[in-house]
Amino acid sequence: MAIEQDILALLPRLRRFARSLASNPSDADDLCQSAVEKALLAQHQWQVGTRLDSWMYRITRNLWIDRHRAERRKGFAANIDDAAVHIADDSFERMESQLELNDVDKAMANLPDDQREAIALVLVEGYSYKEAAEMIGVKLGTLTSRLGRGREALMVALGEAA
Amino acid sequence: MNFDDEMIMAYVDGELDLVTAKRIEKAAAADAGLAGKIAAQHRLRARLSAHFDPVLDEPVPQRLQAPLNVVQLGPDKSAPSRFRVTQWAAMAASLAIGLMVGPQIFAPDAGPVTVEGGMLVASADLDKALTTQLASSQANDAPVRIGLTFRNDDNAICRTFEGADMSGIACRNNRAWQIRQSFSGTTAHEFRQASAGEIARAATAMMADNSGQSIADAEAEKAWQKAGWE
Repeated sequence: MAIEQDILALLPRLRRFARSLASNPSDADDLCQSAVEKALLAQHQWQVGTRLDSWMYRITRNLWIDRHRAERRKGFAANIDDAAVHIADDSFERMESQLELNDVDKAMANLPDDQREAIALVLVEGYSYKEAAEMIGVKLGTLTSRLGRGREALMVALGEAA
Repeated sequence: MNFDDEMIMAYVDGELDLVTAKRIEKAAAADAGLAGKIAAQHRLRARLSAHFDPVLDEPVPQRLQAPLNVVQLGPDKSAPSRFRVTQWAAMAASLAIGLMVGPQIFAPDAGPVTVEGGMLVASADLDKALTTQLASSQANDAPVRIGLTFRNDDNAICRTFEGADMSGIACRNNRAWQIRQSFSGTTAHEFRQASAGEIARAATAMMADNSGQSIADAEAEKAWQKAGWE
C-alpha cells in the first residue's frame, strides 16, 4: 500500500502540474485521475529507490501529450473563454484576481506544448533544468531553449517584459 | 562580462554556479537595464506562482483519492464502517482480479450468472451468498465472500463479492441481484494482481454519497437482509 500513500501525498502537486498543462480545472483533474489510474496499473514498472514524483509527472505529461494530439486530430479546439471561472463572489478584489488568473491560463494555453511543459516543470513545479530535461526526455539545451522561448511569449502576453 | 537572456533566466532559476551568480548580481547593481530584466523574470515567476500555487491548498477531489483507496468517510460516521472499508480493501488488494470481462464469465452454463429480462443477474451459489451471507458472520472459507454492502445513487442495495469464478458488485433490482461490475475471480491467475483501488473506486463511484453514509455497518446489513434487501 506504500505506493498508494505516496501518490496520495503527491496529489496536490500533481494537480497543480496538470492545471498548468490543461488550463481548465476539470480537464486537469481528468488528467490527474487518468495518471493515478495508470500509475496504479503500472506500479510494477516503478523502481523502488527512484523518485516517484518524476515517474508520476512523466506519466501525467505523456497522457497529456497523447490526449492533446488526439484532440487536435479531431479538430477539437479548446475554448479558453468557456473555461472562465464563474465568479460567485462579486467583490472587486476577487474579480480582479480572477481576471488575472484567466490571463495566465490564456497565456499558458497559447504556448506550444513543448514550451508549456518546460514552463510548467521549471517555473511552476520548481524542478531543475536537469530534472525537467530528464522527465521530458530531451537534452538540456533543448529544454533551456524551449524554456526561453516560452518565457518570452509569456512575458509579452502578460505584459511583464522589461 | 555580458549576460545574455539565457544566463539571466538561469540566474533567476537558480541554475548558475555561485561565482557566476555573484557576478551577475554585481553587474546588475551597476546596470539598470540588466536589473530590469532580472526583475521582469522574477515578476513572471511570482505571477505564475500566484496563479498555480493555490491549487496546492485546494481539497483534492474524491475521485482522485478513491483509486488510492482512501475513501474518506464523513466525520460523524462511526468507526465500524471505517474499519470495514479498510478491511475490505485489504482483502481486495490480495485478490487476483482481471479487468477483462470475458464472455466465458457470462456463458449460460458458467454458473454464477444468468440472463433475466435482459439483465445479468446472480444465480445459484452467488445469488445465495448475496442474499444470505452477512459480511460480519460469514465463514472464512465461504466459496463466495461478501465485502461491502451499500446503497447506490438509486437507493438500491449493492454488495461487493469475490468468488472463484468472478468478483464484482451486484445491486438489488427487481428482486434479483443484478451484476453491475465484474472482474475475473480469484482463480484467474493469469491476470495481474489487483490494485486495492479498483473495486474500491468502482464501489465508491456507485455509492449514494461520498461520505460513506451509504455504507452499511453490521447492524444495518442485518436489518437490510431482514427487509429482503429492498
